[in-house]
Amino acid sequence: MSIIHPFQSSVSTNDGTLVFTVVKNTILAFRCNPGSWNYSLAGSWVDTLDRTNLIKEKVIKEQQRQLAENAAAAATKKSKSTDGEPVVRSVAKVPTPGTGAPPIYSIVRNLLLSRDNKMLFACADSDKSILVLKIDTNNKENCLTLVKRQPYPKRPNAIATTEDNEKVIMVDKFGDAFEMIINEEPKDKINEFEPILGHVSMLTDVMMKKDPESGKQFIITSDRDEHIKVSHYPQCFIIDKWLFGHEEFVSTLCDFLWDPRLLVSAGGDNYIFLWDWISGKSLFKFDYSELIQPYLTDANLAPARFQNETNDIVEYAVSKVVSFANLPYIAFFVEATKALVILKINKDDYSLSLFQIIELPCNLISLFANTTQDELLITLDNRESSEKDFIKFVAFNPEQNKFVINEDKGKSIDKFITDKLKNNENVTISSKDDVYPLYNIANLKKHGEAFS
Amino acid sequence: RAHSNPFSDHQLEYPKSPSDMDWSRLYPYYKDESTGKMTNKVTIADIGCGFGGLLIDLSPKFPQDLILGMEIRVQVTNYVEDRIIALRNNNVTKQGYQNINVLRGNAMKFLPNFFEKGQLNKMFFCFPDPHFKQRKHKARIVTTTLLSEYAYVLKEGEGVVYTITDVEDLHLWMVKHLEAHPLFERLDEEWEKNDECVQIMRNATEEGKKVERKKGAKYIACFRRISNPEIII
Repeated sequence: MSIIHPFQSSVSTNDGTLVFTVVKNTILAFRCNPGSWNYSLAGSWVDTLDRTNLIKEKVIKEQQRQLAENAAAAATKKSKSTDGEPVVRSVAKVPTPGTGAPPIYSIVRNLLLSRDNKMLFACADSDKSILVLKIDTNNKENCLTLVKRQPYPKRPNAIATTEDNEKVIMVDKFGDAFEMIINEEPKDKINEFEPILGHVSMLTDVMMKKDPESGKQFIITSDRDEHIKVSHYPQCFIIDKWLFGHEEFVSTLCDFLWDPRLLVSAGGDNYIFLWDWISGKSLFKFDYSELIQPYLTDANLAPARFQNETNDIVEYAVSKVVSFANLPYIAFFVEATKALVILKINKDDYSLSLFQIIELPCNLISLFANTTQDELLITLDNRESSEKDFIKFVAFNPEQNKFVINEDKGKSIDKFITDKLKNNENVTISSKDDVYPLYNIANLKKHGEAFS
Repeated sequence: RAHSNPFSDHQLEYPKSPSDMDWSRLYPYYKDESTGKMTNKVTIADIGCGFGGLLIDLSPKFPQDLILGMEIRVQVTNYVEDRIIALRNNNVTKQGYQNINVLRGNAMKFLPNFFEKGQLNKMFFCFPDPHFKQRKHKARIVTTTLLSEYAYVLKEGEGVVYTITDVEDLHLWMVKHLEAHPLFERLDEEWEKNDECVQIMRNATEEGKKVERKKGAKYIACFRRISNPEIII
């Protein structure tokens, strides 16, 4: 029996009529007919690129190269130690490629819509590329067409678009940020690309901002070494400031339409930070460690090699923080928990306080805020509840003065997904364990050289 | 060991931000006991200070500056610490060597945790690890992206980056990257000739002495941190 793979992420257009989701290496588009909760499949795109063999070839080639290098070195070089005595040169070890390499997943991640909703950007792990897909709502067969695929030397971790909509900014696993002109043919010679800025640490998120008073543009980047860096844009070589305060890696940044000076960040420590990124001031530091305790499970225990004798070290991290266009709230979730936490921002003193916790039927995987509709899209690890709980919609209900799950909308999309996709090989798996990596954030925690 | 991987997650101690740094621990002589504040700031940094030769020679020349050596290798740092303690003890009467110290740190990652914008007058990169292999070039201490961070901690219009190496290839690499960076401008030979730090750098460090013994070449290049250009809007 096959089951539909959990949805790894989702975004929706400003008017909410199109929902894009990633399932395995497939991007799906659903159309929600206005005024009803009738869904239809509007398009799909599958990343068919399989690099397994390519990588194997590369590994063998590198091994041959190293062996040849060793042979050449042994034949020509005679080294001397500092006091002039000849020494026997030890031959550098050449690793033999094993069979135990972890499987390569052609994950698609970081769905991002262009500001005008005519393009969809994504990152493909398979060849470390940025994908540009055109959204053509007039095409009734398939609204998604791949128009560009730009590979990079290192894996993209996050993307953003520039104010003028002409470029995509990408930050990678190696710590570099690159700029890509959207309407330009893909470039080769990827190893010669010049980064616009870099950190000596994995980059985790990026954001393009403008100071409304001075009109100056900035690029804000976060990394695995607690750093949030604010640089001028396009003169990225001029660093404006750092936002200091985090005690562990930063995994997610979020800004606000209703106040462009505000920025929220979170990651591997116990705090949600609210910043005025223009003045560089930390406005508030919200400690969420206590409220999350009831929702932590065995899934949040540290990996075995970092465990203690009583096996009770927990390691958790905020996966994603989002804001609303018109409402003074932020929503976030801690990886591998069922809790959606909503904090209220007090506009008088910029303090954060707990507003509401919504417990979902399964662990959250992704969170997206449709800023025009002020609606949250949540995808869930629904392997246990099969055939339901793929996507949940959450919105603010002014009458009840709280956020509520739109159960009917969720149910109708669940039903549609099950009916439409259960025989689609691209999105199904044969067993619950045959799943793409859904929890990647807590792994960013550093354990120091004692373990390395 | 001779090398340390600048990308690995060392268990390093660093302040959360420059204002969290307790400099009095390293320079107790410069703490004003009545206010609890430091009277002077670190203005000279020797990145990858090795055995500390440069710090020791710079110390008497810049009595108003606090000079910090940063070194990533634990044992080397411990050695320099001991060396400075001994020097301070032997020069108690004239309070010598109170303005230098060393700390173990990864300058490539955490420099901005220690120094505020424009705090430094001089930064030294003496005989850095050449990282010969092409794919290790990002590990070099001078790269285009890191230069922006050095420019941030250097004083606009005044700060100077000093580089010296016996590896010509690395020298050309550093010059190329510094020249290409919009915030640095090379200082000419005349300037080098008249600058006392250049002379000290040429002769003070242990690496420099080793090269001298082997009659190897020493390549020097110095760059000024120029003022920021006008911001494009």
